[in-house]
Amino acid sequence: MTPVQLEVFLQTLIAGLLLGGLYALIGLGMTLIMGVMKIINLAHGELMMVAMYIAYWMFVLFHIDPYLSVFIATPVLFLLGAAIQKFLINPMLKVESILPENQVILTVGIGMVLANLATLFFKSDYRSTPVDYATSAFYLSDFWKASPIELSLSLPWAVSFIFAVGITIALWFFLARTDTGKSIRATAQDTDAALLMGVNVKMMRVVTFGIGSGLVGAAGCLFLPIYYLFPSLGGQFTLIAFVITILGGLGSTVGAIIGGLILGVFESMTATYIGMGWAPVGRFVVFVACLIFLPGGVASLLKKKRFGK
Amino acid sequence: MKRLSFVILLFFIACLFAVDVFAAENLELSIPLPLTGAQAKFGEMEKKSYEIAAEEINAKGGIKGRKVVLTFEDSQGKPEISRSIVEKLIDVKKQPVIIGEYSSSSSKAVAAVANERKVPYLVVTGADDSITQQNYKYVFRMNPSNAYYATGLVSFLKEVVKPQSIAILYESSDFGTSGADDMAKQAEKIGMKVLVKEKYEKGAVDFKPILTKVKAERPDMIYMVSYVMDASLLMKQIKELRVDAKLFAGGAAGFAIPEFVDNAKDAAEYVVTATLWCTMAKYPGASEFAEKYKKLYGDYPSYHGAEAYSALYITKDVLERAKSMGPEDIREAMKATNIMTAFGPVKFEDKEGYQNQNFMDTLVLQVINGKHHCIWPEKYASKKYIYPIPVWRERK
Repeated sequence: MTPVQLEVFLQTLIAGLLLGGLYALIGLGMTLIMGVMKIINLAHGELMMVAMYIAYWMFVLFHIDPYLSVFIATPVLFLLGAAIQKFLINPMLKVESILPENQVILTVGIGMVLANLATLFFKSDYRSTPVDYATSAFYLSDFWKASPIELSLSLPWAVSFIFAVGITIALWFFLARTDTGKSIRATAQDTDAALLMGVNVKMMRVVTFGIGSGLVGAAGCLFLPIYYLFPSLGGQFTLIAFVITILGGLGSTVGAIIGGLILGVFESMTATYIGMGWAPVGRFVVFVACLIFLPGGVASLLKKKRFGK
Repeated sequence: MKRLSFVILLFFIACLFAVDVFAAENLELSIPLPLTGAQAKFGEMEKKSYEIAAEEINAKGGIKGRKVVLTFEDSQGKPEISRSIVEKLIDVKKQPVIIGEYSSSSSKAVAAVANERKVPYLVVTGADDSITQQNYKYVFRMNPSNAYYATGLVSFLKEVVKPQSIAILYESSDFGTSGADDMAKQAEKIGMKVLVKEKYEKGAVDFKPILTKVKAERPDMIYMVSYVMDASLLMKQIKELRVDAKLFAGGAAGFAIPEFVDNAKDAAEYVVTATLWCTMAKYPGASEFAEKYKKLYGDYPSYHGAEAYSALYITKDVLERAKSMGPEDIREAMKATNIMTAFGPVKFEDKEGYQNQNFMDTLVLQVINGKHHCIWPEKYASKKYIYPIPVWRERK
């Protein structure tokens, strides 16, 4: 491998991991909701769009940095998600319906309403937050003068990645160590047993939907400095979250993180070595291959290993 | 049904009435434009520009002493409606010359009717190559044909940059693909090697993998055909990766509008782009028109506005030179047109398979100190181009 080839490979890998970290954060929220509620939340990307608009207006009106808006948008999205669960989805559970999956259809409707409200209020213009550090980056040659290759690490991408890792660790701690977290996991594993053990399942559903929304809200704030914003942006990220949820194994948080990273790296490698136009195709090749060859996703691999020991 | 036919009858009577009363002193022109529907934004801009031109012309005594009265017919951006509007204008209103329409498909429909009825038609903004390639005797086009949009940029490359190799990145739409194909053809014609030609899906988040690949190939120039948000993301990530080239060039669209600089900020510096027209172009009346438009409507017009504005001046020039108001005399006068307008020089020529086509130099813009400036051709430049451009490492 010549230095140039090595440089291309490493730079692609860096780009893939950074992208994958953000994908994982988007996927986490959906997979969490999937685990507890057994439904796919198809308004996921639209919730992210709402958070991005919050961060955008915070920046424009009060000059609050999008990264600080994580601490504003996440609680707001938590409340929004909890309200959606409490007032829209929970009542839906009680209604006898022709279609068993009408909660999923409801989330599609919620997504459409959110996207159209955004178009109504903010017009369909593209917007972005022109932060000063948007194109700052670290370069390998600045640290190691004699380096035969040049690698760069974008500052906003790196910060977003670190935030994503931090949020993921916080989530893990919450799920593993706190009572509420344990109750959520119990609900996800077996709703009836959790109910018998005295877990307030209805409450847990509300909390879970809130957390799931809060996570994707945080992801939205992290995406804003590196991307841009328009009302119908949700769909493409719902799709990505969906692929990650399937890839990770429905409902598995560790699976979603690994799934996100795999997808990010896979997309970047496709873009470099096959062609950028093929990246979205690559995404669905992963999706279909996973459904056929690994129906349980990454989570089933992890489980197998554990049993093997 | 009865009521509908009554309305139609009333409408026709109104039309006849209008012609009878005003024909004596006023020169009435109806212009088909998309005023509703997806293209309404541009139709609206052109309507305003025609109105500015009409007002100016009337203030200076009109055309041959007759006051110009413009009316606009909404074609909704649909060729079949444009067609029926123009049929009515020619058959009922006996309008001796047709101007207007926005899209290529509507212009094409109008061109067919006008040529069939032997009434001269001035195509204002339709860019599709084929419009003036069909041996239409009565169809004239002021807008450069699509294939000639990048001629200004190519001559800049030939005379100043002289690059040996090129990388082309483009979005996977019709617009992106045809722009990239044209550029690849032009590049090979002037002896450049196409090292990378890659498309991407509009709205992509991360261009770094593909840019890394481009960087490894070390092309002399990078040419991109994108809309504005992809354009700024591309330049930002080019800066991040320090991909150096002799020249970064955009194929109009996203690169030529102020939002590109607003979003890409310092990464946009020194980027050049092809364009048909810009507000500071050194054409007589160009900046005056732009400022007037901005004062009236709050923002600057794009080249569509300048074309509409100039189209009415061309019509004035043609009608004043024509021996009579008959279509045949107007056609002859149109053919002899050689006039400088706010949009640039207009002259209708038959060459390279085109008939009655205006071949003008397209302009090249460069971002200098965070603003677009017209740098090429030099005789119309508002600022001297900056070349060679500094490498990323040496920029602040």
